Amino acid sequence: MKISKLTKNFERFSLFVDEMELVPGKIYGIIGPNGCGKTTAMKLIAGLIKPDSGQIDRCGLTERDITMAFRKPYLIRDTVVRNLTYPLTIRGIQPDERQIKESLSLAGLWDYRDSFAPGLSSGEQQKLSLLRAMIFSPKLMLIDEAFSNLDMESAGLFERMILERQQTNPATYLICAHQLSHIQRLCAYIFFMHKGKIEARGQAEDILYAPQNPHLKNYLKYASLREEAPGWNS
Amino acid sequence: MMFEILDAEVLGIITLTLRMTLFSTAISSLIGIPLGLWLDSARFAGKKLVVIINRTLMASPPVVVGLVVYLLLMRNGPFGFMGLLFTFEAMVIAQVLLLTPIICGIVHTASARSAEGIRLFARTMGANKTQTQLLLIKELGNDIFFAVVTGFGRAMSEVGAIMIVGGNIRHQTRTMTTTISLLRGMGEIHQAIFLGAVLMLIAFSVQMTADFFRKRERASDENF
Amino acid sequence: MKVKSTAIACLILAAILAGCAGQPLVGASPPKGELTLVTTTSTVDSGLIEYILPYFTEETGWDVRVISVGTGAALQLGRDGEADVVLVHARSEEDRFVAEGYSPRRHDVMYNDFIVVGPTDGPIAHNNDAGATFAAILEQNLLFISRGDNSGTHIRELDIWSAFGLTPEDNPRYIESGQGMGITLGMAAEMDAYMLVDRGTWLAYPDVGELVIVCEGGAFLRNPYGVMLVSSTLHPTGAQAFIDWVTGPIARELIGSFGVEQFGQPLFFPEA
Repeated sequence: MKISKLTKNFERFSLFVDEMELVPGKIYGIIGPNGCGKTTAMKLIAGLIKPDSGQIDRCGLTERDITMAFRKPYLIRDTVVRNLTYPLTIRGIQPDERQIKESLSLAGLWDYRDSFAPGLSSGEQQKLSLLRAMIFSPKLMLIDEAFSNLDMESAGLFERMILERQQTNPATYLICAHQLSHIQRLCAYIFFMHKGKIEARGQAEDILYAPQNPHLKNYLKYASLREEAPGWNS
Repeated sequence: MMFEILDAEVLGIITLTLRMTLFSTAISSLIGIPLGLWLDSARFAGKKLVVIINRTLMASPPVVVGLVVYLLLMRNGPFGFMGLLFTFEAMVIAQVLLLTPIICGIVHTASARSAEGIRLFARTMGANKTQTQLLLIKELGNDIFFAVVTGFGRAMSEVGAIMIVGGNIRHQTRTMTTTISLLRGMGEIHQAIFLGAVLMLIAFSVQMTADFFRKRERASDENF
Repeated sequence: MKVKSTAIACLILAAILAGCAGQPLVGASPPKGELTLVTTTSTVDSGLIEYILPYFTEETGWDVRVISVGTGAALQLGRDGEADVVLVHARSEEDRFVAEGYSPRRHDVMYNDFIVVGPTDGPIAHNNDAGATFAAILEQNLLFISRGDNSGTHIRELDIWSAFGLTPEDNPRYIESGQGMGITLGMAAEMDAYMLVDRGTWLAYPDVGELVIVCEGGAFLRNPYGVMLVSSTLHPTGAQAFIDWVTGPIARELIGSFGVEQFGQPLFFPEA
């Protein structure tokens, strides 16, 4: 997936992505201060909004292969199970009962399978939305702050789930998070955005531990990162 | 035309009223719901004006709508050849003109509030256009239900327009409200009140049924 | 202190405004009070009441509030004590009203006549036999619109059917509008129907389409109006003044000349 000279203008903000390339099967991170354009960039990549100019080459991926999970997920006014299986239903795929039970149990949602989904707590809603996004095995998954309400155990669970899947069923991920520990554990390559532009990019260890860009240095000043980056698959 | 409590004539009037109300609400919903959803999603010049015009039509005086339909359907009018004036169909036409803007307006308002989030979600799931539209209707279900129930209530209580285009013809176009108006003109105040009470009772039952369905969804989210 | 003076200023202002509103706009006599006259739609819709009332107010000093409803409702308002005077046209109902004690007596005021109208190319030729006309409508199942609202016209129509032993419901095309004279006439014009209508409405209605008079004249179509003082009136003097005036010479002349200029013939004839 290649992006070049992408612009999008809003009243108070404009975004310019000079160049960005996502190689299939890799996990990318995107970091930057509030209002730097991370969400807008992700929405452009997902095709949820149209750019004012510039090119996105999705290399054959269609809307059906891409998904995006939000910090505030939308849950259908229906049961937890029906929310989880919605992507399968619209694709005409018969859901695998065993798989449903397994993934809901893993996230601690099996007991609430017939509950009204919008009535779940915000963390549970995020878990459900992540499960729902992953259930149809998208080729490209954009995760916008979708870990923010999860407790550490749940976040770890999803991190592990993503990394395990990369072994069997690899997909491209672009993950945005303010808790840099997630980024640190998951991502091989990181983009740093500042005021609508990508100001730094590189291998995770270079960006997080040897920042050059002054804005990036400033952004990382308050981050508490463990010296060694373990990674679940390392 | 004096009648006993709930004699055949009154039952006929109630049946006719309900039939007219159901037909007009159904047709208005079929037009108004998609129109309201479309009005929210569409982007075109002058959209704001269309929304304001629709809001104005929501408050259009039934008597004026009745007169307009009368002029259209009268023998020397553009649709006179169809011979619809003073028929059941004429009343439904007037009602549809009154109700559609109301249903469209309520659906549009609800849609403007939450449709964008739903559409965005549908796209992240890879839903196609039809699936998105279906999801939208399902998710806005409560609001759409409210719009339809409101339309139903309006249709049942309307009198000005259907009096003009229906003609209040006994056994043919005489509804509960036009009968009440007639009874009042005849000085039969007690019968008028009685029929009014029956009308209110039916309206109450409709609202109770509506509330029952709304409650069911509520009950299920009390798990948390 | 300030509040008090504001209140006083308001009171003064209100008094001035009230004084202005109370000033009679026309008329020599000082106002004595307001009578409520309940009458039928035909007298108001034709413009007669509006035409004669200013003369009454000027002469006697009584203001009149007019309520126009069907004869049935008019008499009911009288029974309920909402009226001081009633002016209606349904002789049998009026006599019952007096018999029940709601009024001391009924006075003749004026009359006009009913006519039967119908489509130009219909099977009934112009005639003056109401019975034969009604019988033909029934036998040939011609479309007939009845007022069906207990109005004076409706009551008269029912009287004619029953006087000739006819049952209008035997005609499948006998329908009831339950609405006023003018509206029903408009419906008849749209539907090419027969109907019984008073001549005043017929003359005053702007567009009667293809309808023509098919039957006029004869005792059955005479339409007398009566006026009655309502026993429970709070203004017996005013009510009596109205009755004396409306049956007197000045009103007689006004009634007889009303509409002549516009329609070429009077709409109502004063009783001798």
